[in-house]
Parts: sequence; structure tokens; C-alpha cells
Amino acid sequence: MHHTKPLCPKPPSNASTMASPSIYTSPGFNFTNELRNNFMAEKGLPLPKATSTGTTIVGCLFKDGIILGADTRATEGPIVADKNCEKIHYITESIRCCGAGTAADTEFTTALISSNMELHALSIGRKPRVVTAMTMLKQMLFRNQGRIGAALVLGGVDSTGPHLFTIHPHGSTDKLPYVTMGSGSLAAMAVFESGWQPNMERAAALDLVKAAISAGIFNDLGSGSNIDACIITESQTDMLRNVEMPNPRVQKERGYTFRRGTTAWKTESVRDLVVKEEITFVGGDAMDTT
Amino acid sequence: MSIMELNGGSVVAMVGKDCVAIASDLRLGNQALSVATNFQKIFPVTDRIYLGLPGLATDVTTLRERFRFRVNMYTIKEEREIEPETFAHLVSSTLYEHRFGPYYIEPVMAGLSKTPSGGVKPFIAATDLIGCLNFAKDFVVAGTASTKLYGVAEGLWEPDLEPEDLFETISQTLLNAVDRDAFSGWGCIVHVITKDKVITRTLKGRMD
Amino acid sequence: MASADGGAYSYSLTVFSPSGKLVQIEHALAAVSQGTTSLGIKASNGIVIATEKKTSSILIDDSMLDKVAVVCPNIGIVYSGMGPDFRVLIAKARKSAQSYWKIYGEYPPTRVLTQEIATVMQQATQSGGVRPYGVSLLVAGWDVNRGPTLYQVDPSGSFWAWKASAIGKNMVNAKTFLEKRYNDDISLEDAIHTALLTLKEGFEGQMTEKTIEIGVITVPSIAELEEGKIGGETGRPKPTFRKLSEEEVRDYLAL
Repeated sequence: MHHTKPLCPKPPSNASTMASPSIYTSPGFNFTNELRNNFMAEKGLPLPKATSTGTTIVGCLFKDGIILGADTRATEGPIVADKNCEKIHYITESIRCCGAGTAADTEFTTALISSNMELHALSIGRKPRVVTAMTMLKQMLFRNQGRIGAALVLGGVDSTGPHLFTIHPHGSTDKLPYVTMGSGSLAAMAVFESGWQPNMERAAALDLVKAAISAGIFNDLGSGSNIDACIITESQTDMLRNVEMPNPRVQKERGYTFRRGTTAWKTESVRDLVVKEEITFVGGDAMDTT
Repeated sequence: MSIMELNGGSVVAMVGKDCVAIASDLRLGNQALSVATNFQKIFPVTDRIYLGLPGLATDVTTLRERFRFRVNMYTIKEEREIEPETFAHLVSSTLYEHRFGPYYIEPVMAGLSKTPSGGVKPFIAATDLIGCLNFAKDFVVAGTASTKLYGVAEGLWEPDLEPEDLFETISQTLLNAVDRDAFSGWGCIVHVITKDKVITRTLKGRMD
Repeated sequence: MASADGGAYSYSLTVFSPSGKLVQIEHALAAVSQGTTSLGIKASNGIVIATEKKTSSILIDDSMLDKVAVVCPNIGIVYSGMGPDFRVLIAKARKSAQSYWKIYGEYPPTRVLTQEIATVMQQATQSGGVRPYGVSLLVAGWDVNRGPTLYQVDPSGSFWAWKASAIGKNMVNAKTFLEKRYNDDISLEDAIHTALLTLKEGFEGQMTEKTIEIGVITVPSIAELEEGKIGGETGRPKPTFRKLSEEEVRDYLAL
């Protein structure tokens, strides 16, 4: 047998990957600022707070599927950063995921898994399963050793029936008939513990979810504003955005517009976005266009 | 002292009727010492998108260049101008890429997006330093005066303000908020973006 | 020029022949023209792409065969040539579409995705140790900016936009047929029928829902666009590309 040494042991890296958009951003995280940031932290300049979702998120099984619920408050320390944010994230048409914890982490983790689930669905040629999303999420979170601060409630219906999971930032998971997470989880769980029953009707289950979120909104400072809910059954997913708005903004008694000219300004420049065209005839008569 | 307070600075953006406004202070500080009173924090991205970058001054410059590069590449490759929603996602994903070694910037965006029927729709957004998007319908704030800006804006903002009224509201919001913030101030700049023009004014404010 | 055995210039595909040809690319095109015929027609309100699905034996389970592929909700591709090469390209195209989505929060415009695929195909004509892809593609897509567009990509990595085109075994006849039949304000329904008629020309065997695959782009109305994404701000846009089911294909064939 004639033995040949491979001429090219490694394929050129650009041949195996798609060109851009990855020419701008390589997959994964970028750590180029780490050295500088650590230096500044040593000097006593701590990291500013990232937006977090204090949050009450819940999910429960009912007769025909799953109902997920969430409040809509995002906080930055003691400040309410967003009064009506969306915490029920899209994974697939019949799988959704509520996120609590570091807001950016829940947002990007669910987006990444949603993207991977779509690729997965295209390659297997059928609807993907909830356990698949759960496994992808827990493996990603475990790989990052809890540094990605996402606490999730994952729910959906697939060919094997309805499924409901909680996923913790370190990658541990639970499969239960009713679950709550976030800073308002205790308040919400109290409602579930007293009110949940197997095989509930759709309307009754939705009311229970609303009551659980309300308990978080009114008793937990990290949760507030409105209620979002999502009802997933085998045939349909209904995203009920702001299904209840128990804390509307109070109508102001009077307008507070300032009289024009209140603010003194020093300089003004106007950038005209409309391209004006002016035709100037240089010498002779205008062209005969008849 | 937080890193955001090293150089100081604040930005606010508001929605009006078929218009948006974005405004910032002009201070550049070295902790309590003011170094400059003409430090630009708001940059035009396209004709109808403006980007505010309050935070660490070195990152203001870095990110401004990065986004300029990315938007220019986008414009060439796609043969069209970037839309505000798309740009907001670009900003968000760029910041999240640096999740574990972030830029000390809390971007604020304001712009007008095209609707399918040919009209324009006001768009504002802000992200935290790791790119969590906040699409508000009324106003967004960021920077060292953000706590004060939240309060004043919550009181003064109202829906459907005409460009000139929006100018007054955003100006008064910013001026009064930065007066109670030691790290922001020393003059302000306001951009009001409408369908056919962008009005830029520098405001008279306290210089202490 | 390529001689019967490929000549001296077929050993390394990165070497030009004295006449300025890259012989391996010519051979790749030959592989394409042995493949089953595929075609695409752009209509006033959509696009149709179609292909014939031929199996070498009746014993093959053709329900597993996919020749029209979804890349992302707004783009679909059909091919003529080598199936395995197509599979690899589709996997890369899907990944590219997803990485675009992760950056910009929307799916790529047809032109940008086509350019991505074309770049991959071009790289295979200039890299060591690889051969060009043995497929031509018809990429059909819809985006806000350019509306519905139909592109053809060849093994060399070159691509063009078409109003109607055909690739594969019967492409010359099919193109002549399309040139006679095409007009600018053809509707999607008419385009689907024209596509079937064109495929019928030179079709070997029986044309049934099992031996035909069709994909369509439907253009959303302004009202649908204003409605925005399904499932809130973080939801997804309604798909504009879809494959027709066997029942739908059967109905079109019956007409």
C-alpha cells in the first residue's frame, strides 16, 4: 500500500465558512475590552448596572395546552427602565419562552435558540420539539457557567403533547405542571398553589395566570405595569400582548406644553432633506420641447 | 464613582407628531473637572437617523467610528440606506457581542422610518451597555442625568407635539435635568428630525 | 478548450487554459446540463419556481426527495445538477440567513443572500483541493426594498436577475418556450400554469404531484405589511415563500 502524506492537512478557513456577515463579527463573544475594564474596576470604577427584569413570569398546563404569563416592567437598579417591555419571547410558532434576569441575556439567549430551532426545523423537515429547545438552552447556559443571567420559563406544544420547563442560569431544569420565576415568583406561586387544578378550562386557566401575574405586579417591586399572556394549543398560538392593563398612565389634568420661544438658543442650523432643483438657462433661448 | 461619571454626559430622545427629537449636553469632564464644553455625543447616521452615545468618552469615539464603518458597509452592500429599526438591532448586537467586556456606553437612537404606504413613522430606542433594546413609544433617556431626566420627561412629555413644541419640551426637559446633575451640562444641543429637514440648535444653559 | 479527456488544464482547476477558460467550471456546467430541468418565472404579484423530480428507479421512496428548499421565510431555492452539492449550499445559505437575522433582526434581502451563495460558489473555483459546485440555482425571494426578485447562480459564482429562466437538461427549449409565453403583467396563477406547460415540454414520463415540485413567492399587500410582525414586536414576519403541497400541485395539474 502506497502511503501518502496529506498535502493540505487543514482546509483554508475561509473555504469552510460563509463569507460575510461573519467577516464583521465572528461568532461568540468578544473579550477585547476585558483588560481595560478590569484595570478600571481595580481603580474603583465599577461596572454600570445593566437592565434587568425583576419580573414575575409564570406558566401552567391546562386542558388543551400551555399558558405563559409575564409582567412588563424592566428595571435598572431602583429605576423603572421600561414600563411595557415584552418578556414572552418567540422560539417557534408553537414554543415560547418567558425570560427573567439580565434583560439582554434573556433577549439574546432566546433569539439564538429561536434561530437554531429554525435551522433545526428546516433540516429535519418537521415541527421541532419543546425538549429540543430546552436542551439547547440548558447546554448553552451550563457552558457559560451561570455568567449568562437568564432564568427562563419555556413552554410549548409539539407532537408529543404540551410541555413546560423552568431553566435556571446555571443550566438546571425542571418539568412541572405549573411554574413561576423571577423576583415575583413567590407571590405568583402562592396563587398557583391555591388555585391550580389538573385539566382546567382555557378561560379558568387564563384567569389563574392573570391572577398570578397580578400578585407579582402588586406585591413585588421588581414587577409592574401590564400583563402579557400566551396561550399555546396544538393548533394555534395566541399571543395576548397587554391582555390586562391594570396600571394605566393617569390622564394629566392640564397640558404642559411650553409657549414657543421659551427656550433661549444660541445657534441654529437647518439641514434640508428635500433636494431642490432650479434650472437656470445660460444664454440663448430655452430649448424647444414642443 | 461609576465609570459613566468619569467623563459625564446625558442624552434624551422624544417622539412627536411625525417628528422626533434627540438632545444632549456638551460637557466633557475628567471626574469633577470640566475639560471641554463642546464635546459631541450625538452623531448623524443617515439623513433621518441620529445616534447619541453618552458614557465613557473613549468609547464614544470608538463606537462612533465602528458604527460609521458598519453603516457605510451596509449602504454599499445593500445599495440602500439603513432603516432605524435595522440600525437599532445592529447597535444592540454589536454591544452584546461585548457582553463580557462591554463598552461603557448607553446608546440612544432617534429617527424616522419609512412605512410601507410611503409615509414616515417616528422611531426612538435606547439600549443598556450590553445591548438590551428598549423601544419606547414616548421618550428614552441615558447618561449621568438619566434619573433626573426620567422624572422631568415623565412630567413634561405629551403625545403628538409639533416639531417646534417638541423642541421646547425636550429642551426644557434636558436643561432642567442637567441643572441637577453635576456631571452633565455646560451647554446643550438639540436635533429635531422632521420629514423634510433636521433643525439643530444649541441652547443657552448654566455654565457651572 | 476542453478536450474529451479534459486536457492538460483539467488537473488543477485554478489554472487557466491558454484560451482563457477554466476547464473545471465548464465541466461543472456540463454536470448542470445533465440535471433535471428547473425553471422560475417572475409574475406581477409573485414568483414561481418549479422543477421535475426524477428517480432512477420506482423502488426509490420519492417522498424523502426535496429539490425546492426553503432558506428563510422570504427566500426559496431550486436547483439543477448534483443533489449533494445543493444540500451543502442550502445548509450554508440557511446559516448565512440566520446570522444576518441575528445582527439586523430581519432576514436578508434576496440580492444579499444570492451574493452570499455566489461568493461561496466562486471560492470553490479559486481554492486549492476543492472542485466547483456542480449546480446552478434559481433563487426566488421577496424583500421590502426590491420586492419579488428571481436570480440564477452558476457554478462559476456569477449571478443575474431574471424575469424568467430555466436551467438543466432542457434549458434551451424551455427558455425559448418562456420567451414566447412571457409578458410583464402575467399573474402568479398564470405563471404557475406557464411553468407547468414549460416543464411538460420534454418531460420524460408522467407529470404528477410526485414528479413535480413547486415553490411560490407571494407578495404581501400594503395592509399586511402595515400590520407588521406576527406575535408582537419580537415576533416574526409572515413567510412570503412556501412550497406547494402535493394536493395543491395535483390541483394545478388537473386544470
